[in-house]
Amino acid sequence: MASSTQNGSADPSTEVSNLPDVVGINFGNSFASIAVFTKDGQAECIANEDGERQIACALSFFGEEMYIGSPAKAQLVKNSKNTIVGFRNHLGLKFSEISQSQSTTSAPIIQHPDIPDEPAYKVAILHPAPAPLPKSTTGTPAASSAPTPRSEPIPGERILTVSEVTTIFLKSLLQSAEDFLGKRVQGAVITVPPNFTDTQKDALEKAATDAGIKVYQLLEEPAAVAAVTTAEVWSSTLPADRTQLIVDVGSSSLSLSLLALREGLAHVLASTSLNSTGGDAIDAKLITFFATEFTKKTKTPLTVCSENPSTADARAEAKLRLAVEHTKRTVSASPGAATCSVESLKGGVDFTGTINRLRFDMLVRPIYDSIARSVSELLASANVDAHQVDEIVYVGGTTCLPGLDEHICLAGGFSDDINTPFSMGTVIGGGIGDPTTVLARGCALQAALIASLTDEDEELRKAFERGSELLEVNTISKTLGLVFPDDSGNEIGGTWIPLVPFGTTLPARRTATFDIGLSEESKRFAFELWEITESIQVEKIIPPKEETSDADDEEDEEEEDVEVKHKTITKESLLGAAEAEAALGIQVKGPSKDAGKWTTTVQATLVVTASGALELSVAEIGKDGVVVTVNVAAQQ
Amino acid sequence: MATIQTNVLPKSYTLPSISNASIAGPSTRRLLPVGRALVSHLRLTIHHGHSFEAHDAHLEKERQKLEELQNSSGNGDDDLGVGDEPESAELLALDPKEWKKHDYYAVLGLSHLRYKATAEQIKIAHRKKVLKHHPDKKVTSTAPQSTSSLLSGVNLNTNDDAFFKCISKAHEVLTHPEKRRQYDSVDHELMDSQEDDPTPTTFSKSKKGLTDQEFFKTFNPIFERESRFSRKQPVPMLGDIDSSKEHVEGFYDFWYNFDSWRSFEWLDKEINEGSDNRDDKRYTEKKNKTERARRKKEDIARLRQLVDLTLSLDPRIKRIKQQEKEAREAKKAAKSAPASGAVTPQKSKAQEEAEKAKKEEEEKAAKADAKKAKAAAANAAKKARRAARAAEEGGAAS
Repeated sequence: MASSTQNGSADPSTEVSNLPDVVGINFGNSFASIAVFTKDGQAECIANEDGERQIACALSFFGEEMYIGSPAKAQLVKNSKNTIVGFRNHLGLKFSEISQSQSTTSAPIIQHPDIPDEPAYKVAILHPAPAPLPKSTTGTPAASSAPTPRSEPIPGERILTVSEVTTIFLKSLLQSAEDFLGKRVQGAVITVPPNFTDTQKDALEKAATDAGIKVYQLLEEPAAVAAVTTAEVWSSTLPADRTQLIVDVGSSSLSLSLLALREGLAHVLASTSLNSTGGDAIDAKLITFFATEFTKKTKTPLTVCSENPSTADARAEAKLRLAVEHTKRTVSASPGAATCSVESLKGGVDFTGTINRLRFDMLVRPIYDSIARSVSELLASANVDAHQVDEIVYVGGTTCLPGLDEHICLAGGFSDDINTPFSMGTVIGGGIGDPTTVLARGCALQAALIASLTDEDEELRKAFERGSELLEVNTISKTLGLVFPDDSGNEIGGTWIPLVPFGTTLPARRTATFDIGLSEESKRFAFELWEITESIQVEKIIPPKEETSDADDEEDEEEEDVEVKHKTITKESLLGAAEAEAALGIQVKGPSKDAGKWTTTVQATLVVTASGALELSVAEIGKDGVVVTVNVAAQQ
Repeated sequence: MATIQTNVLPKSYTLPSISNASIAGPSTRRLLPVGRALVSHLRLTIHHGHSFEAHDAHLEKERQKLEELQNSSGNGDDDLGVGDEPESAELLALDPKEWKKHDYYAVLGLSHLRYKATAEQIKIAHRKKVLKHHPDKKVTSTAPQSTSSLLSGVNLNTNDDAFFKCISKAHEVLTHPEKRRQYDSVDHELMDSQEDDPTPTTFSKSKKGLTDQEFFKTFNPIFERESRFSRKQPVPMLGDIDSSKEHVEGFYDFWYNFDSWRSFEWLDKEINEGSDNRDDKRYTEKKNKTERARRKKEDIARLRQLVDLTLSLDPRIKRIKQQEKEAREAKKAAKSAPASGAVTPQKSKAQEEAEKAKKEEEEKAAKADAKKAKAAAANAAKKARRAARAAEEGGAAS
């Protein structure tokens, strides 16, 4: 009886839930994914109502129903003319800008009947039947001269612009996220491909706004990856300063980016994208493989992926295309045999075929090769040696294939200890390095970051707008570090301690802690501050005889020498030097081989100001330690 | 910790001479707009003028703020401020049979919130207590202390689940809105503090007025306490010495027309359910009903008296009256000084008169109100006395 206010209404002392109500959306041309923050404070890619984490970017109309995602993709078999796929890339383009050459089985793109030069899709639908006559209150049917309304749905057609299709699709993504979170989503960060023009970005932003999404930022795909890889959760063992190669294999495109990460700040060294290679090419190979197998087994001719669409078995091909999706996932997950089964593939004959990982890798070798070639070309254009790349990050479902990773590492000439999600073991089981979800998670992280900015950071928000000038920064062009001279006679004449790597954004401050060796009679130590360049030295060694090639026959050139690469340092210019007597030297005790040596632990801090001046301080750790400072003026 | 170790400096080493060196010119890059580090960098460049010291200070401040925030919300887990209260020996020794006399908020460890506790907080508090006091847990946690082999394995403390019963009862009452309302009406703490309320005699005895500070110190907590019973929320509070006339008038207006949800079912005598005697039951029921009504009446009278007392002691009323008087005198003075009035035309005069009339009327009304209120209070007191007498007689007769 008593209302809830009667016992007072104390506000809860804190928010019931402090999860950021933001969503990260990876909006690809073929697949999309969404990520939100879960209870343990991590960005997680979530599944939609169909249980799909990889939501197919497809929209299908069948009768009165509209299907979105994987159910829509399945309609490509029976209802392909009313199924819209691959609309993302047409966003913001004029009809005349879209090439009509590629034949599709899905709903073709047409000129909008009313708006000039506007691409649109035409689908056949059924309008719902009009509501029956309202019941009269008296219970007896009222006499009416109006004709009895039709009780059947009325066939009609619907014209959808690309923007409308995008809005419908994004709305369904937003709905899934809100269902998961149980509250309204405040804002979102959405990925865009790096080759999107400003008009296309505007169009995407508008479509998202129409879908009820507040877009915090449109994040280019490499940046979304960097958002994850610069976060603490990515790895605790990788250095904060590293060169990172991002291999993003989409279904229809390949994009590669080489990033320089410097303590969380990332900038692009080089990037490239190709529209010829991608997951679709792998699909085509697989489909052809299974089609041949089918013909072999059943003696039923089956033509797929042919140049001439009239002779191809379009429906069988669509069925196979859906089925190999599963095959690919199985190949990625386990080295054993992966099956591909299609009911009534052609002429009422069922098909079940298998392929194991080895056979699969051989089959798609040409695609692997072309990806690896693109990687090499990118590195060559950026003038970066493969050994200078510290890490490879994969994006996209195709890169879940372990064979691709192996091939890139081998053919690209990367060093053996390069870090990839596979070598770090973060791919399996939805780990942090899962290539299929990394973009969405990056967007969610970024959205949370932007949402956490308070009013006092209002100016900072500008940096996240498109083309912000705040992002134009000066970086130092050569690595700075200390040389502690000794008699070792190596190329730099001492021990090299790097402090600020090249490409670090100014102003910068770096600290290193290390031990200095001292001699027993004098505690003197000295150091020089150098600017250096790093390079890779190639040494050729003739390989031992027994190592005959177990490489594939396809590889034509047999190398006679094995190239061994070393990182080398070349001194460029001396910036400063200083010496001091250590005050806190200690002698190593105990049975170790270092026993009897004198050492002291120092901390070196180098600040590079915005103008380029240097402030170096080398201080002994501990009370009353000696402090040496060196200042270098900026360039005039 | 330090992984790098340098070698010993050769004795022959001499410092090289440096001739005015500086680092190579910077190159321009475009950062990717992502990451916490970028925000840090932008703060450093925009807010702190490239100075690492200022940035460090800022970071330190942020860290402290965060720490405070975490501390205030308890040990990581969000318990909505329920917290942990120490359980005294008396509390743990409560007899579940005497459940009517328990302090349920203390039992659930909510004494700092009492009637302010939300349903969510009660739920959390109950869960916490259950985790601690569930009989299943007790058996394992208090191992048999007896050394006698005969008694080992037998739970010696048979009263083990007594406190758990108290917790269940408290939870039952506090989660039931009607029961909770009844309990809150006669909350122990409330009854105790009501006994200490000042009566007119408290101040008349001392024969000296309260200072302004004392007045607010005495009455502010009282009205804050009583405000919980109002059906209308929020309740206007006493305010302070500088409160406006409107506020003061609004305050007294509200409290003279106070609409209370307080009820006294909790103090009902138990109806003997086992008895077959219908008359007996009906009699008790009737008596309970009259008792409730009497108590309610008493409560209204009590509150009325309290407001009367406050009104009579309120320094602001004096101030407002003084101000009104001054205003009147000023007007009179203005009227009697025609030299200045030459400029201000008759219009102002008419206005003044109108104001005066209005004020007088208001005062009259206020006076009448006060009179009525007093009469009502006296009436109520009389009735209450009569009722008490009647009740006594009734009790004696039965």
